[in-house]
Amino acid sequence: MAQLTARFRTDNRRYAVEDVPFSVPAASETTDLSHLINKLLAAGHDHKYVEFDFLINGQFLRMPLVTHMEMENISTEEVVEIEYVEKYMAPQPEECIFHDDWISSVQATEEWILTGCYDQTARIWSLEGKSIMTIAGHTEVVKDVAWVKQDSLSCLLLSASMDQTVLLWEWNVEKNKVKALHCCRGHAGSVDSIAVDCTRTKFCSGSWDKMLKIWSAVPTEEEDEMEEAANRPRKKQKTEQLGLTRTPLATLSGHTEAVSSVLWSDTEEICSASWDHTIKLWDAETGDLKSTLTGNKVFNSVSYSPLCRRLASGSTDRHIRLWDPRSKDGSLVLLSLTSHTGWVTSVKWSPTHEHQLISGSLDNIVKLWDTRSCKAPLYDLAAHEDKVLCVDWTEAGLLLSGGADNKLYCYRYPATASDVGA
Amino acid sequence: MLPASIIGDRRRRARRHFRNVPAVPAGPFHQRTVMPGAAPAPEPWDLWPHADPGGRGTKGRDEATGALGAAACSRYGQPKKAAAGRAHARPCHPGVHLLEMVSPALTPLPSAPLQDIRNTVGNIPMEWYQDFPHIGYNLEGKKIYKPIRNKDELDMFLEKMENPDYWRTVQDKMTGADIKLTDEQVDLVHRLQKGQFGDVHFNPYEPAVDFFTHEVMIHPVTNRPADKRSFIPSLIEKEKVSKLVHAIKMGWIKPRKPKDDTPTYYDLWAHEDPNSILGRHKMHVPAPKMKLPGHEESYNPPPEYLLSEEEKLAWEQQEPAERKLNFVPQQYRCLRAVPAYSRFIHERFERCLDLYLCPRQRKMRVNVDPEDLIPKLPKPRDLQPFPTTQALVYRGHTSLVRCLSISPSGQWLVSGSDDCTVRFWEVCTARCMKTLPVGGVVKSVAWNPNPTICLVAICVEQSVLLVNPCLGDKLLYGATDQLLESYVAPEEERVQPVQWVTATMEEHSKGVRLVVQHSKAVKQVTWHGKGDYFASVVSDNSNMQVLIHQTSKRWSQNPFRKSKGLVQCVLFHPIRPYFFVATQRYVRVYNLLKQELTKKLMTNCKWVSSMAIHPGGDNIICGSYDSKLAWFDLDLSTRPYQLLRHHKKALRSVAFHKHYPLFASGSDDGTVIVCHGMVYNDLLQNPLLVPVKVLKGHAMTLDLGVLDVLFHPTQPWVFSSGADSTVRLYT
Repeated sequence: MAQLTARFRTDNRRYAVEDVPFSVPAASETTDLSHLINKLLAAGHDHKYVEFDFLINGQFLRMPLVTHMEMENISTEEVVEIEYVEKYMAPQPEECIFHDDWISSVQATEEWILTGCYDQTARIWSLEGKSIMTIAGHTEVVKDVAWVKQDSLSCLLLSASMDQTVLLWEWNVEKNKVKALHCCRGHAGSVDSIAVDCTRTKFCSGSWDKMLKIWSAVPTEEEDEMEEAANRPRKKQKTEQLGLTRTPLATLSGHTEAVSSVLWSDTEEICSASWDHTIKLWDAETGDLKSTLTGNKVFNSVSYSPLCRRLASGSTDRHIRLWDPRSKDGSLVLLSLTSHTGWVTSVKWSPTHEHQLISGSLDNIVKLWDTRSCKAPLYDLAAHEDKVLCVDWTEAGLLLSGGADNKLYCYRYPATASDVGA
Repeated sequence: MLPASIIGDRRRRARRHFRNVPAVPAGPFHQRTVMPGAAPAPEPWDLWPHADPGGRGTKGRDEATGALGAAACSRYGQPKKAAAGRAHARPCHPGVHLLEMVSPALTPLPSAPLQDIRNTVGNIPMEWYQDFPHIGYNLEGKKIYKPIRNKDELDMFLEKMENPDYWRTVQDKMTGADIKLTDEQVDLVHRLQKGQFGDVHFNPYEPAVDFFTHEVMIHPVTNRPADKRSFIPSLIEKEKVSKLVHAIKMGWIKPRKPKDDTPTYYDLWAHEDPNSILGRHKMHVPAPKMKLPGHEESYNPPPEYLLSEEEKLAWEQQEPAERKLNFVPQQYRCLRAVPAYSRFIHERFERCLDLYLCPRQRKMRVNVDPEDLIPKLPKPRDLQPFPTTQALVYRGHTSLVRCLSISPSGQWLVSGSDDCTVRFWEVCTARCMKTLPVGGVVKSVAWNPNPTICLVAICVEQSVLLVNPCLGDKLLYGATDQLLESYVAPEEERVQPVQWVTATMEEHSKGVRLVVQHSKAVKQVTWHGKGDYFASVVSDNSNMQVLIHQTSKRWSQNPFRKSKGLVQCVLFHPIRPYFFVATQRYVRVYNLLKQELTKKLMTNCKWVSSMAIHPGGDNIICGSYDSKLAWFDLDLSTRPYQLLRHHKKALRSVAFHKHYPLFASGSDDGTVIVCHGMVYNDLLQNPLLVPVKVLKGHAMTLDLGVLDVLFHPTQPWVFSSGADSTVRLYT
């Protein structure tokens, strides 16, 4: 078959073409179709060359047109409707921030980047890659970091560590001084994950000791009561240096293995992923288990997008799985995104785009995904030389990934294009 | 009324008897005397018994006489005249064609007959008169005397020889007199014997003359209207039928009684075993079939069947038995030109020999598809989960990694290497958390299996180090230190095979807490499940090879008095107080409580390298340097339940998973083979062993591949350490 009849459609008025069927070569690929559209547009008025991406029935075209249609069982006899969107431009590498040790976690705001590092410190960087602050206080590897509150004057931030504590820091921006306000003690294992709720008053932590604990994130002047053995004065002294001891508001137990990732999916809903092959949804107010999603592999990471209301999970196999957290019957994998060759260590939904997410894997590659193309990612960001351990992206248009090669890579992604075709 | 001629005839005969004159024709037949020289009576003679109901009174005799008379007379030439009046009511022999001659006008015989019988005794067995001189009584009531018979056998014979009429002489039983049959009588006998009519002149084949013409005429013979009777149902029949119906209703008679289908014959072979083959049947061997003639036998075969010169030469040089063909195909112009086959007789003879010498016993050949002999195993993908791909590589060691151990929680991994260090790894990221230089080659490491104790035993040269890695829960490792420090030395010094030394300050800062110094190099250390006792194996040849130590009391003992061979490895039973000691060829199971040998397992291997026990405690696997893996079911036998030979080279290590039905073996060929080993609770069901995956990854270094394998305690993951100085995780 040499020719196919196709009709092109777009939601972007700027690039609209006539709604008539065109005859296109069956073997044409995305670039050929893009040329075609550009020619059509250039014929009308002045036009700058734009790369387009093409969707057939909500699936990105990633191979010759006829092959794609055969795979998707679309009849080649009829007029096929092809939607086109402006091509999502490749993220541009911006900074490479060097650390002293493996980067275990990263979280960025509009102005600063907070990273947790295996050298027992958390670090604050400017977006330009300038080191602003090094927060030392933990006695073990810092496993996770989180911003609580940003102000022009002072910021609150959290760091969780393998030394079984979470520290709440206050960072005075002007003086560039950091002070440990509270030391959250209560976990009996390495604290692997923390998440701050949307009201910025509470946070949840998940630990290797199979527990989830909810803490207050509001700094106070009082120390919580701590039923600690009295015969350890030396350690007590040490904790005093690190701020006031804080005890959890609530403890959620139910996982049978280590908790690897927690997040707030709603104001009062906590989602936790665990090594016991389950994702559990909890009611933060009552501490009840709401539902359980069961997989068959250890979960490394979970992410929730309020835009599309889906959970994405990375587990100790090659697949990123999308879940519907509201399904009551448990394990319902909506989609598997498969292209990695190692464990998926971290996933993160785009804060602005309902279809996009990034994932980092042990195969040293960060992948930018569009859920409309589940066989192949939009872009492979192959800059890391070792395991990728954490990824993040900001609304300001930055993609961040850190890994075992001690480097934090920043990419600028075209935020403006993100809503095209959405 | 009997015709007068018959009566007259009878009278005459009677008179003649009276006068004792022989040769009355009807007599002998009536007396049913067997004719000497005559063949057994043919069928027609059977008429007589019917007509001769002996001793039934006068009427019966009388009827008989009448009928007989008639019959006899009919045979004597007066059939029509002599037709007996009763003959039509009597069962009639087909030989006596009297019926059609019966005249309806004949009246029945008178009840008082005119008897002309010389002997009046009647139809009685004549032997009743055997002992009397007389044989009966005549009409006048006078005795009839037996004729004088004084002939002996010789006289009888002589008479037989000399008397020309002997053959036609018969004895009248009623009178005892000899009667010589006349020619007429003899002729009659002959005719009757042949089944012919007694009357010579009677022709049974006279042309038939119809009473009426067979053609249908327009005028009927009789135009009488049909009887009323013919269309009125018969009352008598109705009565009979109603009686039958009543009888059926009452169940007295059963209409349509079901036929009894059971065969009435006797089944000779009914009780014979159908499988038993008897006698000749057992021996039956069908004659070998001769090959059918093919093209090469043709008188004019296609040219490709003709032998070329070389082929012919080769054919001639072959042994006759080896030849494919026992003749040379030849071509003739036409069938007429084909000569007689010279070997015909020879071949017939050989064929006969074949048949004669064919085997007399059938040899049953077992025809088994080799596919059927392979046991049916489930497919590996049905047995998931099991490790399939390499996930992480733990790099850091600089020499071959000999040993591995994992913390009970599964968070930390410890590895000992030839580069004189022990490294502690975070499992999920392959991060090396700690490196402990120990100043010697590390032969064995063992993490304390008790989750409340954080202690690792490390074999370095001649000592076992007990190290607190300070990983995991602070409270736990703090408590472990406290536990070790709480030791109070006993007052009196005990004699111990080893020396317990507390670590120096410098060592203490690195984590070492205690040093157990042995006299020789230690090659293996293993913990008891409770985490207080551990056993160490020393490279020695004496009875000091195996030592059992108690950490809390810092007390060591030597459990064995005698050396039973070079000990390879030792193992504690996970539940019961058993202790496994593997020497080169045997595994001995000791009961620690009773202090006795419980079992001795024969491994069938040349040199056992490693041993692992199923968490249930009833199954053991042994790896050996001759690349075999032996699975023992302790309840089953002291011999291996299965011997797996999957590896190409020596096995270095074997391991069981704690929860999943998995076991793995690492070998010098650089592979780890993961097998599904399901042990059922049902004691009758044997374990199911299925190899599921070959894991490759380790590079061959110094002809060594995988040195140790280890399962993650909770996940279906397997670690392997290799000579390429890496540790790999497969998930």
